[in-house]
Amino acid sequence: MNWILKRGLLAILTIYIVVTITFFLVRLMPGNVVDMLVITYMRDYGMSREDAYAMVKLLLDIEPSKPIWQQYLDYIWSLLHGDFGRTMSSGGTIPVMQPIVAALPWTIFILSLSTTISFLLGVGLGMLMAYRRGGLFDTGASTFASIVYAVPNYIMALFLLFALAIQIPAFPPRGSYDVSITPGFNLPFISSVLYHAFLPMMTYVITSMGGWMLAMRSNTIRVLGEDYVIAAEARGLKDRRVAMTYVGRNAILPLFTTLAINLGYMFGGSVLIETYFGYSGIGMVMGLAMSYRDYPLIQGTFIILVTAVIVSNFIADLLYGKLDPRVKLGE
Amino acid sequence: MSKMERKTNRSIVRIILSVARAWIYEPLTLLATDKRAVAGFIIVLFYVGLAVIGPMVVPLNLTPNLESAYLPPSLEHPLGTDPWGRDIFAQLVHGAPDMLIVAFLAGLITVLVGTVVGIFSGYSGGTVDLIVMTITDIVLTIPGFPLLMVIAAFLIGSGIEVNIFMAAALLSITSWAGLARSVRSQILSIKREPYIEVSQTLGLGKLHIIFSEIMPNILPYIVMNLILSMIGALYSYVGLMALGLLPYRPGNWGAMMHMAMAVSGTVTGVGSWYVLAPAAAVTILQIGLVLFSNGIDKIFNPRLREK
Amino acid sequence: MSTPLIETIHASKIFEVRKGLLGVKKHIRAVDDISLNIGENEIVALVGESGCGKSTLGRLMLALLKPDEGQVKFRGEDVWSLRGEEFREFRRNAQLIPQDPYSTLNPMKKVISALYPQLLKYKIASNRSEARKMSAELLEMVGLSPPEDFLNRYPCRLSGGQMQRISIARALSVNPSFIVADEAVSMLDASLRIEILDILLNLRKKFSTAYLFITHDLAIARYFAAGERIAIMYLGNIVEVGDTEEVIQNPMHPYTKALIMSVPVPDPKLAKERGLPPLRSLEIPSLVDLPSGCKFHTRCPYAEKICEEKTPELREVKNRLVACHLY
Repeated sequence: MNWILKRGLLAILTIYIVVTITFFLVRLMPGNVVDMLVITYMRDYGMSREDAYAMVKLLLDIEPSKPIWQQYLDYIWSLLHGDFGRTMSSGGTIPVMQPIVAALPWTIFILSLSTTISFLLGVGLGMLMAYRRGGLFDTGASTFASIVYAVPNYIMALFLLFALAIQIPAFPPRGSYDVSITPGFNLPFISSVLYHAFLPMMTYVITSMGGWMLAMRSNTIRVLGEDYVIAAEARGLKDRRVAMTYVGRNAILPLFTTLAINLGYMFGGSVLIETYFGYSGIGMVMGLAMSYRDYPLIQGTFIILVTAVIVSNFIADLLYGKLDPRVKLGE
Repeated sequence: MSKMERKTNRSIVRIILSVARAWIYEPLTLLATDKRAVAGFIIVLFYVGLAVIGPMVVPLNLTPNLESAYLPPSLEHPLGTDPWGRDIFAQLVHGAPDMLIVAFLAGLITVLVGTVVGIFSGYSGGTVDLIVMTITDIVLTIPGFPLLMVIAAFLIGSGIEVNIFMAAALLSITSWAGLARSVRSQILSIKREPYIEVSQTLGLGKLHIIFSEIMPNILPYIVMNLILSMIGALYSYVGLMALGLLPYRPGNWGAMMHMAMAVSGTVTGVGSWYVLAPAAAVTILQIGLVLFSNGIDKIFNPRLREK
Repeated sequence: MSTPLIETIHASKIFEVRKGLLGVKKHIRAVDDISLNIGENEIVALVGESGCGKSTLGRLMLALLKPDEGQVKFRGEDVWSLRGEEFREFRRNAQLIPQDPYSTLNPMKKVISALYPQLLKYKIASNRSEARKMSAELLEMVGLSPPEDFLNRYPCRLSGGQMQRISIARALSVNPSFIVADEAVSMLDASLRIEILDILLNLRKKFSTAYLFITHDLAIARYFAAGERIAIMYLGNIVEVGDTEEVIQNPMHPYTKALIMSVPVPDPKLAKERGLPPLRSLEIPSLVDLPSGCKFHTRCPYAEKICEEKTPELREVKNRLVACHLY
């Protein structure tokens, strides 16, 4: 109970700190973004200083004349109300939250599915490798795991795109679904979504599973040498049972901390990966925001993305808490 | 030469020989037992060689020659040409030093900061440890690459000059936390070891204990982490460049990827060499580093030598 | 009486334990109001079961831990008030031989590095080659011959017995007047124990060292502290101190009696005749939840009402110190 509370507080504190960092990035960066934007607006749109200033104020949702601490409180207040300002690229018409809310589910869909698949695959293979340690399968699989672990996930996206969408047009090179189909709970739509999601998911799965494989392999090897496993085998318990309940369970637990890192890695890579695949998730929105230097949108997507990572980590912590009896009993 | 001078010369030679044996010959023979580590080592060595000798041997011509744009690989252009008719291979070679230096610097900063924080926190204990570790935990939870992206976006938007050292420091902004945490927990358990207690009764002093007794026990881990940090730094560096968030540098692999995407869209047939060549260059280097890191542990750990 | 070499005066060490972030804070009195002195060149065996606080007491005497109550004195001076040169002198004179031979040496450093740094620091050797020579001599003294074979080895290539000998050499390298041997032979094979103990005794004659010999094994204590003193410890208190052979032949404190009776006797007939120690309970109370009054009263066969109420003081009775209301 205690431990969950600690992790929860840490999560909230971290989100708060990220929000604060973003606040200061805009306002206190040397060569102030606000000033540069005013100059840009004056130059590109021929606005007067006051008009440009008013425009920037509206877009970034800031009031530079107010004292900093007051600006900060206003900022926190708007955030809590879900008001992240308005996008610059829309000239201030579309609120930042809009594209984010539209895009987020797509990313969450792909990432949760990919995490589950890569985790199960990686853990299963890792355990198999440990049981057949030293053999041909183990050596081959370990080398494979090391290699896919090394490839940056966004580069894997490029390779897959090139190989399976261009050279061999097996999969669509762009989009999250076929836009000619009306969205809804119908089969054509769902199959189109899955078809378009396949390559991005494959990217995440292949680049993540290497780490799982190697970690599970070394954990399993360690556990196999422990006394309680040898005792279980000596008692005559069936191999399968020993593997599942004794070895598997104990070997998996430390991996949950890796889960958090892995989620961060996937969310981080999503910007480039979704851009390359033209996949309309929050990564792509953030990518577009950055290329257009749309600061309110950058700010908004960043905060939401980071919050998504932190919340996912917290859920993983909860799961871990349920599985590890040492935590359950309040060690 | 006087007798004294001859004696000094002899001992210098002896020292050089013993250092060479311990630091070059022995590690290489140990490394040789693991084939994958050897492969990794060769790859890394190749890249270092490329970065050192390459720019002197391969000429770089950046003047646009639109007639030769998008040429496929040939004897003259081993990896083809880019949208402006310039040789891709030459660009890769000239970009190599930049990539390696930044990755190495960033890895070095990460490891230094992480180790110092970890040792300081672990050895001090008590309230100091609690405060430092809470801060470290928070930094750990913040996803690094997104933060880097945002900071870089704001930096480039405000027109600040970002040199190599700034880039390296930026890349280390959150990566030190993981190492700090694990160094600290190692310090905590080493602190309780009997041989440390005896070092205290022998009155050997804090500095001696930290650097002479504790350090050798965590050194293998730190060196291993240097390689791992380089891998992470390279990922972030290329990623930021590929997004166009860091100032353009000619020959920089990530910048080439960015240009490719900006000009050609995606990996469509014509422009594919321009984007795939640097991508492959990064990938092979990463693979080399990973394989190499797998073999490094054996070198520094005398306990493992028995196997 | 001359000033004792090492002395603790009503010293206590309290550890705080807290369950979880919001749990109750509990105090463990690992060492509870202990006054024990050790004279120059004297051996005191400290005997007790696991967790009774003997290691903590040893560390208090070495100033590795600071007492929460009371004082620790070295040749009459409060150790914690010593500064600079005087403190360094104390440090040189108080050494430790730890229990586990496998972690007593730094696994990443050669054997010689366990010996020469202190030789150089205290200027016992004036340069490296002299330090190396002295290190070799030290190894010879503990029976590691030829020493050159061992100086450049890493601990992973040594046996437990060899490592413990090096540990002894290390403790003696600075010629201390006091050594705490914390279960120094408990983790060694039985056949090695007497050998190591003999090394310690012989070297003691040569260096005139006093010992606090911590052990849970009465037989070992009897051998090592023959002709010297033995102290029995229970749950943080000293319950009996006296001449080794006398305490073992004629134990006064009920706990001492029980301890002696529980030493296994090889002859089954004798064992049956002797019977079990007359204890009321086999459970050792937890250090977090101590019994009131005399800590042994829950298990003591002679317990009376006063034992529950009042903690007995360590009093001198017939050349012995006992903490029991019976006397």
